[in-house]
Amino acid sequence: MIRVLLLLTGLLLTSEPQDVQLFNLNAIPNFSADEIEFFEKEIRPVLVQHCYECHSTDAAELKAGLFVDSREGLIKGGESGTAMIPGKPADSLLVASIKYEANEMPPDRKLEQRQIDAMTKWIEMGAPWPKVTSSTSHEPSSTKDWRQFDWKAAQQSHWAWKPVQRPSVPVVDAEMDANPIDRFVEARRQHAARGPVALAEAPILARRIYLDLIGVLPTLEETLAFSKSASTDRQKAVESLVGKLLDTTMYGQRWARHWLDVARFSEGQGGFLDNVELKEAWRYRDWVVDALNQDLPINDFIRLQIAGDLSGNPSDAIATGFFALGPTYQSDGGDPDSVAQSQGETLDDRIDLLTRGLLGITGSCARCHDHKFDPIPQADYYSLAGVFMNTSMQALPLDSSDVVKNFSENKEAIESLSKRINPLTKKIKKENREATAEERIQLDEWTAKLEELKKNPKSNLNVAHTLHDTGSEDMKVALRGNLRKTGDIAPRQFLRLLVGENPIRFTKGSGREELAAAIVEPRNPLTARVFVNRVWMHHFGAGLVRTPSNFGSLGESPTHPELLDWLTCEFIDGGWSLKSLHKRIMTSATYQRSSTFEEQSFKIDSDNRWLWRMNPRRMDVEIWRDSLLSVTGDLDASLTGPSFNKVTESKRRTLYAKVSRNGDVFESDSFLRRFDFPLMRATVEQRPNSIVPQQFLFLMNSDFMVQRAKSLVARIQSYSPSDEARIRQAYELLYSRSPETVELKMGLAFLNATKDGQELSSWDRFAQVLLSSNEFMYIR
Amino acid sequence: MFHRSPFPPLSRRDALRQMGAGFGMMGLAGVLDQSCPLANTARASTPASGAAFASPLAPKPSHFAPKAKYVIQLFMPGGPSQVDTFDYKPEIAKHAGERPECVDRKSLRNTKMGLMPSPYSFQQYGQCGKFVSEIFPHVGEMVDDICFIHSMHTDTPEHAGAMMMMNAGHLQPSRPSMGAWLVYGLGTENQDLPGFVAMSPRAQPRNKLANWSNAFLPGAYTGTYVNIHEMRSERILEDLRNGWLPRAEQRQQADLLTRLNELDLQRQQQDQHLEASIQAMEMAFRMQFAVPDAFDTSQETKATLAMYGDSEYAKGCLLARRLIERGVRMVQLSHSIDGYDIAWDTGHGNIVDGHRALAVACDQGIAALIKDLKMRGLFDETLIVWGGEFGRAPTSEGQKGRDHDHYGFTTWMAGGGVKAGITYGETDEFGLTAVKDRVHVHDLHATILHLMGLDHERLTYRYSGRDYRLTDVHGKVVHGILA
Repeated sequence: MIRVLLLLTGLLLTSEPQDVQLFNLNAIPNFSADEIEFFEKEIRPVLVQHCYECHSTDAAELKAGLFVDSREGLIKGGESGTAMIPGKPADSLLVASIKYEANEMPPDRKLEQRQIDAMTKWIEMGAPWPKVTSSTSHEPSSTKDWRQFDWKAAQQSHWAWKPVQRPSVPVVDAEMDANPIDRFVEARRQHAARGPVALAEAPILARRIYLDLIGVLPTLEETLAFSKSASTDRQKAVESLVGKLLDTTMYGQRWARHWLDVARFSEGQGGFLDNVELKEAWRYRDWVVDALNQDLPINDFIRLQIAGDLSGNPSDAIATGFFALGPTYQSDGGDPDSVAQSQGETLDDRIDLLTRGLLGITGSCARCHDHKFDPIPQADYYSLAGVFMNTSMQALPLDSSDVVKNFSENKEAIESLSKRINPLTKKIKKENREATAEERIQLDEWTAKLEELKKNPKSNLNVAHTLHDTGSEDMKVALRGNLRKTGDIAPRQFLRLLVGENPIRFTKGSGREELAAAIVEPRNPLTARVFVNRVWMHHFGAGLVRTPSNFGSLGESPTHPELLDWLTCEFIDGGWSLKSLHKRIMTSATYQRSSTFEEQSFKIDSDNRWLWRMNPRRMDVEIWRDSLLSVTGDLDASLTGPSFNKVTESKRRTLYAKVSRNGDVFESDSFLRRFDFPLMRATVEQRPNSIVPQQFLFLMNSDFMVQRAKSLVARIQSYSPSDEARIRQAYELLYSRSPETVELKMGLAFLNATKDGQELSSWDRFAQVLLSSNEFMYIR
Repeated sequence: MFHRSPFPPLSRRDALRQMGAGFGMMGLAGVLDQSCPLANTARASTPASGAAFASPLAPKPSHFAPKAKYVIQLFMPGGPSQVDTFDYKPEIAKHAGERPECVDRKSLRNTKMGLMPSPYSFQQYGQCGKFVSEIFPHVGEMVDDICFIHSMHTDTPEHAGAMMMMNAGHLQPSRPSMGAWLVYGLGTENQDLPGFVAMSPRAQPRNKLANWSNAFLPGAYTGTYVNIHEMRSERILEDLRNGWLPRAEQRQQADLLTRLNELDLQRQQQDQHLEASIQAMEMAFRMQFAVPDAFDTSQETKATLAMYGDSEYAKGCLLARRLIERGVRMVQLSHSIDGYDIAWDTGHGNIVDGHRALAVACDQGIAALIKDLKMRGLFDETLIVWGGEFGRAPTSEGQKGRDHDHYGFTTWMAGGGVKAGITYGETDEFGLTAVKDRVHVHDLHATILHLMGLDHERLTYRYSGRDYRLTDVHGKVVHGILA
């Protein structure tokens, strides 16, 4: 092969001056049907049969960088230059090669003269090739010379790449002096003629705050208490309620779920091995709950999830489940192409999570070629991927070294005893006899010892799925994403988009610590902005940037750029405290607005970009199920521990339901998926909101709903003997409002018209309807 | 009922959605007007309020006029051998035991043995004179309705990856299946049934749900799986039956719920989701009765049942007809006879018995399906696609077996929009590698979408920061097989 390459290089020197012209030939001219037919009949089969094995996208190992499975590929040529010049067979290396004049291709056997003639004729014709409608062409992976690229200018070219700068709070209206958020919002709204709607009524606001922060409905008593204190000092009442709820452990359980969506958390490995359960995955989930309840600063929170294993503290290592629990793809049979493809997919998962999840940029788009829209060279993808090439997953023992030692010794002792007992008993059985007295004594002694050893309470070690370093080598750019066809080395370093043209190389182990530091570096314009925007989104149903995982040029611009930056500065300056961020947002009037419909404002701004009201939101499945359980007094809000599967029987919070990667292994999967729990294959930016009949089959027919109805009835019946009073109570409990007269009438009429049946009383049926209503399912 | 007027303008997104649904309703009305063979069965009914609703399953307009409306995929997991079924290669016998250069390809699956003649005899059938193996006599009778593609090829000789490629256009189980894409693109014509049904007797094909998964598409587009072997009507969908109340009393509950939801909608106004959920609840109510009915084959005549025969796969074929007759967009019917998730992989050790048993178990049912669809006038609007994830090599692996072959294999299509009684593409003289008119799986997908009226480059879904397609960045419509 080397010989061939040298020859190619020598030969092709002659064609260099034509390069500029050649480039234009890449566009396929229009060919007649006859010409195309000639190609398909005479040329393509020859290329497929004799050349593809080494020179096509299907080639196991590409030779000389030459593709002959596209016209551009031939014109572009291999590592040494063009192989074919349309219209000029005499100058085309392809012809010289197949004639065995320049070099000998195909190497095993010369083509038949007929085929050589056809090839010559075809090039003469201008190399007709059918137009490829989609992009299967072999455009170069990298089209720009990134060494000449002006990174400084690029950093100023798009809002999200610019540094975060603290804006001054606008002065809008003397009456609105209270909260800077409201002032930023009001300043933007002045484009629109109409003002915002009124603040929400206290009971509705209480319901909203509870659902937002802890993910369950308030009790009647809690709603009343808030309403009462709000009637004297609303602002103080909100502050104190928010503070109180942030101090409950249910807060961490609720907000962990938002982060677990970003982390595409599941308890199955993914790939073809989804049935391989990640049994200890729950430890990462519980780590997130705990970290949020402790208000662990978010920069540390992120840092530990990238490199916590390197701190030496096992509980920090659990945090790396963020990556370690990701889908790990495998080849089904060890075919080398499939192995490489699977490895590429696994790496891509890590890069996708890192870039979209933490940085709000679509880094994966640079896997096969430079990012088409944002300044992310393909090499930068492999600079990051290199970090994960040197990282792998391990089961890390969490117990103290003494416990681990004791456990291992115990296990070894059991094994060695078994190795003595088993052969002997087998031998006796095989010889079809009783044990001799001597053997009996020996066996009894061993068995007794074994029993003793087995009494050791530690049946299993506590382990966590974590990352660990396996090397410190840079990887090469994978041409068109194929790890078996590599290009230049991509040194491990951070994105040039964010740190400029000469990033500091990562040298410590895999480089994860340095990567983590670069990500939470306060000057990084993305991490904190992206995080703050996600928090805003969960409070309002829509982010200030409505593409929360894509701040790039294809994403949306912020509706309130100054507000986003102001919040981000507050967040960073306040020590990355998530709880403080909640307080800041929730004490604003903007957050406390009613969600009521207002026709004129809707006409002007139906998407509510200027925040004239609170967005009404449908509950996600966790809030909905947890609230169904809490309002009937059934919820088990206990913290931590392995997940449960029987989602319609268990009373635990939905956060603890088992989730497989493909969503098809556990009973809980099918329930969750029915209610829009997304597939945890890639980082999730926002829950979908689909309405399908299968959801209503659950509402109408499931045991779960009937049980909730019965529980609710048992609760309400204790309040009052009269149907009317009970209906009122139910409305206040479920919807935080009184029933309208017509609703009362309809309820009473239903109760009168139906008779208690064997299984379900009238009230059971009525309660099931109330629990199944849209209003219950909404946060308003 | 309730009524809102005048309508304030909708937001751009909502307006688009409502327009989509509006067109959908027009399409639906069209369907209802047509004198379809089952005009009175439970086709979707217009919502009571007459308002456009945003059901994700409502019929949607295609990109251009479709040739077919429904797809029945007869999936043969494990890889049926082309040279023992439909790709007749007499040259193999002439060179038995030899290992000519063109079958000596480098691959993981590089068995060292020579060419192994098919253990089966072939005979010509029909006007077109197509050679078909003795193990498919019933399908042989139908060759004049079939378009054989002998030049299929795919990216990997491994089952799991190749099955994903065939069913979802990607080697790893992370993308929506073709059926999910079809329902996403076209909706479905019967709102009382799922739009996409996957079935198999006994074993689910390898990768299970990933073969009919919606992946990142909205949940409404996922395939509903039914195991034909243990099929009980109430188990077809979860919570399909109400175990507490008779229909009339259940209706009282549903009526109250609808009225309360309508009151809520009046207060909230302008909420498409609320409107959609009122409709979805009504659909759910009807599904309770429509679904068991669709799966009840006891309603068929004796003659029909006899035509299909009594194999489990044949029952699947019959159910497939009942489903598409009711407007289900796509049925994926996978083969299995003994609980093996890659049934045709019996080819490794024993082509002779293994392939024969599998063929016997599906041959009659498949032929009956074609006949039945023709008799009912549904053949022209239904696209049948038969094939596995790859084929098997003409060289032998051990005594009687053949190893995987992804360089060339056979898929056939029949029905709406494809040429009948033709053979497209060729493998080499021994049947290993597709050499003429090569058709990649992406091309097959592009062609199926095309026949359904969809441009595979325009059927996209934005996820993870980019637009995804069934065909990714590949795929060419195979114009040579279009009628």
